[in-house]
Amino acid sequence: MKITVTGGKGGTGKSTVATNLAWALSQKHHVVLVDADVECPDDHILLNTQLRKEEEVKLFKPKFDYEKCTACGICVQSCSESALVKFKEGYPFLMPTLCSGCFTCKLVCPVKGAIMDDSRRVGYTYHVKINDNLELVTGMLAEGEERSYPTVLAVRRRAMKITSSIHLFDTMPGTGNHVAAAIENSKIVLAVSEPTPLGEHDLEMIMNLLDKLKLKAWIVVNRSNIGNTDKHYKIAKKYGAEIIAEIPMYDEIMKSYVAGEPVMKRYPNSKIARVFEDIAKRIEEVL
Amino acid sequence: MELLIASGKGGVGKSTVTGSLISILSKSHKIAAVDADAEAPNLHLILGTREWDRVTEFSAAKTAYIKENCTNCGLCRDICVYEAIYKKNKIHHIKQYLCEGCGACKAICPVDAIEIIDTISGWLKVGNTKYGPLVSAELDVGKPNSGKLVTEERNIAREWVKKGKAEHIIIDAAAGIGCQVIASISGVNLAILIAEPTPSSVSDLQRMYHLSKHFGVNTKIIINKGGINPHYHGLENFAKENHIEIIGTIPYDSRVPKALTSLKPLVEFAPESNASVAIKNIAKKIEEWL
Repeated sequence: MKITVTGGKGGTGKSTVATNLAWALSQKHHVVLVDADVECPDDHILLNTQLRKEEEVKLFKPKFDYEKCTACGICVQSCSESALVKFKEGYPFLMPTLCSGCFTCKLVCPVKGAIMDDSRRVGYTYHVKINDNLELVTGMLAEGEERSYPTVLAVRRRAMKITSSIHLFDTMPGTGNHVAAAIENSKIVLAVSEPTPLGEHDLEMIMNLLDKLKLKAWIVVNRSNIGNTDKHYKIAKKYGAEIIAEIPMYDEIMKSYVAGEPVMKRYPNSKIARVFEDIAKRIEEVL
Repeated sequence: MELLIASGKGGVGKSTVTGSLISILSKSHKIAAVDADAEAPNLHLILGTREWDRVTEFSAAKTAYIKENCTNCGLCRDICVYEAIYKKNKIHHIKQYLCEGCGACKAICPVDAIEIIDTISGWLKVGNTKYGPLVSAELDVGKPNSGKLVTEERNIAREWVKKGKAEHIIIDAAAGIGCQVIASISGVNLAILIAEPTPSSVSDLQRMYHLSKHFGVNTKIIINKGGINPHYHGLENFAKENHIEIIGTIPYDSRVPKALTSLKPLVEFAPESNASVAIKNIAKKIEEWL
């Protein structure tokens, strides 16, 4: 079963919720935690582990055989990313960082063999066994690379290859297609937010995205004691979502955050640990 | 001058600090504000903008549609690197929320059953705050290329500078290090990176710093939520090792959420607070560079 933790706004506590839920669920089930926040993945830091078993994420890029290329320019016109450039009568050439690896240029080229397959590295994926019941698969965008989407897809593929009762995805902030790719086909989506006008605004954006994906959310209001949560209940009602937990600021959260240990592990008898256990129980009812 | 506020990690206080800096700096300079997070735009809330002067559709995106003459051969599904095409009940469908409109499906389709059409990628919003002009953007959820919206926003702000409506541009970046942030950082004079003293924030700061270096942009650091972690020195050590100047430490202040709720920059909501005093000192330093 696929579960996703998302939220729209950055820094609301997605990774904290994801790592702790993964820990709670792994007490009884096998869990693959998938860090799909490929621009800034942090789950391995919160679990205090080193990333291992690196694999490169590679995308197709065109390589021209200028012996065969007739400089017709069809590939240049077809490139939706303007990654191919051609001056007047000259041959086309590639601006690699703009290339999305979509193959269109190769498909439209009328001369067989003028465009050959080459590849470029846009990111990495990793796989770590935390313990017998918990594995972490992390995606990491190569620095300087614009497109996070292919790396999100790659980490998703690598994670879904592992047989497990639960795949728990932790997404990027935002509402773009790189977030949608991590969320789609989830059985349960948790939207982590905070009771500030910024949190409310961005929660509404992620609710819109979930609406498009035809998914219902469980809302987790994090740092629930820093503001008024009325607006969150209104948003929840509007989108037919349920607020399943309010998590006040607890010292234990920050202490474990810094120590690189889930609260569940460091303070198993704390109030906050109960909150995560309760969410885990709700998830188990759906399993 | 164009100044970028970025962080890598989300929720470390970019918009809070940006809002307060704009509040202070706009007293003596004409500042144009750019909210460069089209996927979760928030700066207008802090600058107290309630209405936009102008909202325009922005369609830099394309998307594919399957026409009725589709024979369901599946070639398009196999070629799509975005994994946006799927088969259900023997019929092929395109997930518009994943499609980037690259056209590979159209190019490979043997019966010309695919059409590529322009689609709205989002909206550009222009308004006037009491601190000066603000440009913001909102991505249509699930669409690609939020970076293109950011590029367009910066063009609008640069136009203001040309016309004398603003002297300086302050850009509030998105979280992450992807397309929106790259569209924000290229060509700025200075990037101020905000981090909080936690290992995650430092890890993300490191990635953001490498990106700044990659684009040859001069970098400074502000520590936010200082004191939440008195025994952790990873942030200071990182700055020291890389010879990056820390231009100020803003102590953790529980009034920040209340300031957010009041829709006022912190320096106006709680001007005497330690956090506000720290931001004012930082603003003084920045003023020297303007």
